[in-house]
Amino acid sequence: MFKANITMKTALLGSLLVFANASIADEFTDADVKRWEQQFMDTVKQGRELWTSPKLGNNGVVCAQCHPNAANTHPETYPKFQKQLGKVAPLWEMINWCLKNPLEGQPLAADDPKMIALQAYVTHERRGVKLEPGKH
Amino acid sequence: MSTINNSRRNFIKHSGIALLGSSLPISLVELAFAETTQNFSFAYISDSHIQHIKGAEFVRNWDQGLKRAVAEANLLTPKPDFVIFGGDLAQLGTKEELDHGAEMLSALSPKVHHVMGEHDYYLDLGEYWEKLFGPQYYSFDHKGVHFVVLNSIRTYDEWTYKRWPTNVQRMAEMAGLDNPNGSPFMVGDEQRKWLKADLAKIPKTTPVVVFSHSPLQKIYKGWNFWTEDAEQIQAMLKPFKQASVIYGHVHQIQYNQIGNISFNSVMATAWPWPYPQAYAQAEQYLPKLTVPMNRADPFFERDATGWQFINMANGRVDMHFSLDSNNSRTVGFNKSKKRPEDTVYPSEAKRTAPQTHY
Amino acid sequence: MRFIIVLTLSITSLFAYAQFVTGNADTKPSPGTIKQQSNPKPMLGLPPLIIPVDNPQTQAKIELGNKLFHDKRFSIDGTVSCSNCHDDNKAFTDNLPVSLGNNGKFGTRNAPTVINAAYNKVQFWDGREPDLESQSKQPLINPVEHGLSDYKPLLTIVQTDPEYVTAFKSVFNINEKAITMDYVAKAIASFERTVLSGNSAFDRYYFKGDKTALSEAQMRGLQVFLGQGRCVSCHVIENDQALFTDSKFHNIGIGINQIQQDVPKLAEAFLAAKNKGANVDISVLSDKKSSELGRFAVTDVLSEVGAFKTPTLRDIELTAPYMHDGSLKNLNDVVKHYNNGGVTKVGDPVNPYLSGGIRPLKLDNNQIDDLVAFLKALTGSKAANLAAKEN
Ligand code: HEC
Ligand code: HEC
Ligand code: HEC
Ligand SMILES: [Fe+2]
Ligand SMILES: [Fe+2]
Repeated sequence: MFKANITMKTALLGSLLVFANASIADEFTDADVKRWEQQFMDTVKQGRELWTSPKLGNNGVVCAQCHPNAANTHPETYPKFQKQLGKVAPLWEMINWCLKNPLEGQPLAADDPKMIALQAYVTHERRGVKLEPGKH
Repeated sequence: MSTINNSRRNFIKHSGIALLGSSLPISLVELAFAETTQNFSFAYISDSHIQHIKGAEFVRNWDQGLKRAVAEANLLTPKPDFVIFGGDLAQLGTKEELDHGAEMLSALSPKVHHVMGEHDYYLDLGEYWEKLFGPQYYSFDHKGVHFVVLNSIRTYDEWTYKRWPTNVQRMAEMAGLDNPNGSPFMVGDEQRKWLKADLAKIPKTTPVVVFSHSPLQKIYKGWNFWTEDAEQIQAMLKPFKQASVIYGHVHQIQYNQIGNISFNSVMATAWPWPYPQAYAQAEQYLPKLTVPMNRADPFFERDATGWQFINMANGRVDMHFSLDSNNSRTVGFNKSKKRPEDTVYPSEAKRTAPQTHY
Repeated sequence: MRFIIVLTLSITSLFAYAQFVTGNADTKPSPGTIKQQSNPKPMLGLPPLIIPVDNPQTQAKIELGNKLFHDKRFSIDGTVSCSNCHDDNKAFTDNLPVSLGNNGKFGTRNAPTVINAAYNKVQFWDGREPDLESQSKQPLINPVEHGLSDYKPLLTIVQTDPEYVTAFKSVFNINEKAITMDYVAKAIASFERTVLSGNSAFDRYYFKGDKTALSEAQMRGLQVFLGQGRCVSCHVIENDQALFTDSKFHNIGIGINQIQQDVPKLAEAFLAAKNKGANVDISVLSDKKSSELGRFAVTDVLSEVGAFKTPTLRDIELTAPYMHDGSLKNLNDVVKHYNNGGVTKVGDPVNPYLSGGIRPLKLDNNQIDDLVAFLKALTGSKAANLAAKEN
């Protein structure tokens, strides 16, 4: 059943692509890509600033003290079982755990721009490493 | 912690030197290595990073690390002949931090010799530190071994004296391990000249042990696991039959052998660092000999931190790591292989996957 | 009322399975126990129990163990059975700060519950025995517990009392002369492997999604347990099971705080005595200060001074007073001790050997109450019935 559904959808998609006019489709230019990349890199930069900011937590400790270049944050392994949380959790919950514990700070909401920037930074430092969800 | 080491029946059966394994009764250490009159031990505590918040408040986690190391080192029987503090007592080199750290260290019964770390230095270039602990580099002799202490965390004059508008900023820039605005460590001309003269007086058969904060070998420049003039120092140690370098700064266990010189690092009391290979973008040269530590659980703030005591056995260094939340480790000098070797700890290949860094 | 034998339902299949893997291993006691997973259908919230291959569960053996566990004749003054201190009616503890043994003698430690001890990776507060079989031999000859000077009086009873002779014959297929302590220990351990607790209100809420199982306060308390209270890292909960222990040893600032100054001398003296052959089991249960050395007394590892095994929290409401020395009277005191960062009275000095997992929690009084309420949701269905009947 399920399988059949998927195949049907793919077939539909395929035909759409064939018939659509290339210039009307979701087309973007090199300039667009560059701009978007720049926006990502700006977010990475904000993340790096938070990573080294004594203001992120409450005791003056910064993430970079224990994670230089975001090493040992392993974003490519999430979601995974995390002992400190007692369950399978996404990356942002573990970021909050370190924020609340070694930094004795307040947790951030999942969609807080700061949380997004932190994730952008750690993921960027880990670029090129293969995705391994669940790996401990 | 927590290997299942059985009951007293086993204990009695194995008591004595056979126990020199995962659990090492402190009282037996000297017995085990007692071969010559040159045999003695000292303790090594390093990288406490005492961090001032405000007023009388300091980061509790780092305070606990140093207090614990001091309390545990005071339990050693027989008492160590002296203690080395390996540098980075403070986080930002302030008077408050150095004073608070010195006060905690004052609970140690043996004499303490200090090594300068970059976190102690770059605020006032060691001025207050010298008042508390004495000169930045010096040597002393103990039971037939020549000990040398170097300040290995100096850098280019341009960076130190010209680049930064304030001393506070200079300190902050050097305090970030991964900060691209930092600058590589070095011993420098002045101390190398002094060292040459100092070593000239020593017979080449005398065991020499050098204490530095940074590794006197090149491992990873990005985090200053590195000393710019390492080769020049190594060349000065080359003529000695038995030379050892013990360094802090890296907050992890490393060991190596280069020619006749053995290298051992010590752990931090404050927090552990990832091995450089954990940084996907780094090109690094962790000594092949080194069996890395287990990964740490940040819940247990002392996990993968600790201190060590060192047995000088016939002029060679045997390092005992007193690790919290993990089995203790011993990296001893293997006389037949002529290099340091972990005596009991399994090599990476034999360990369970989660303990391996990736 | 006797604690109910919880495995009865699955006992036949369990027996069959164990027999299948072990053949007749039962007739030859061997010292090393090879562990084998068994008990395919554990209670809600519990993982499958691991049964040693050389000591499979059988109904008759469990009953024999039960009888041995309650026999007061195995003591110097004829008043002490295991159940004196591990009382079926008190959730297998004695509700005393430290246990009362033969002739009015007190030990140094609080009797831990036998409930779920079957899951322990090591036995005793300091883990000095590896399993239930070896553990059960110790109290019998400890001077402050059963107080026998050796096993002879016990063996004489089991070799002559016709009921025991018949039971050992049918369980182990041995005649009376062949009854040794190894068989006695196996039977007791088999009984203890039926003393399990799961299926608490918490389990029904967390693992079965029964949202009515916990009160509002208990649900908030669970969040404190998992979050700001930092309890879960040692008292472990996982996605599909919760034993509430990590089977490790931690110094959480109990007992040791009072003797901090003495530790250097004490540790040195203890090691010296041990090297001369002193018996650890006797030393730690008869000398209060040696007892406080905790796991260090067993391993000599400096970082384990004052460290004790993380106990389960199942049925915790029923097992007061708390901690290895029974020094905390109620759960409120326990939570406050943690909240203060490992000291019972605010302002007391923190001991330098304190676990890196303990630090001030900054919980307010409401959070403390919620957490205590949550701990009361860990009473298993068996024990809960028992408590209801008694009231
Ligand atoms: C006191 C040292 C310390 C500080 C400060 C610290 N961490 Fe951690 N953190 C650790 C350690 C140790 C680990 C475990 C590393 C491992 O698994 O090898 C860890 C793990 C993590 C992980 C999960 C890694 C994995 O493999 O599961 C993330 C994500 C993380 N930290 C993020 C942060 C963030 C964000 C901050 C700052 C808010 C921070 N950490 C501050 C010590 C620290
Ligand atoms: C006088 C009271 C007393 C008697 C009698 C007694 N125990 Fe205990 N039991 C204790 C105490 C106290 C401890 C903890 C001792 C320690 O950890 O050093 C303990 C520990 C245990 C444990 C370990 C539980 C754990 O979580 O580690 C088990 C199992 C146990 N007893 C079973 C028995 C059995 C079986 C008997 C009879 C053969 C028995 N006990 C007799 C007081 C008693
Ligand atoms: C660092 C690990 C650790 C953490 C974190 C921890 N515990 Fe414990 N817990 C232990 C150990 C170890 C003991 C036994 C200590 C002793 O007797 O010396 C214990 C004992 C207890 C007891 C008494 C059990 C008994 O049978 O006497 C209770 C109740 C308890 N803990 C609840 C909690 C709660 C609630 C939290 C969170 C606020 C918590 N624990 C956090 C390790 C921990
Ligand atoms: Fe350091
Ligand atoms: Fe350093």
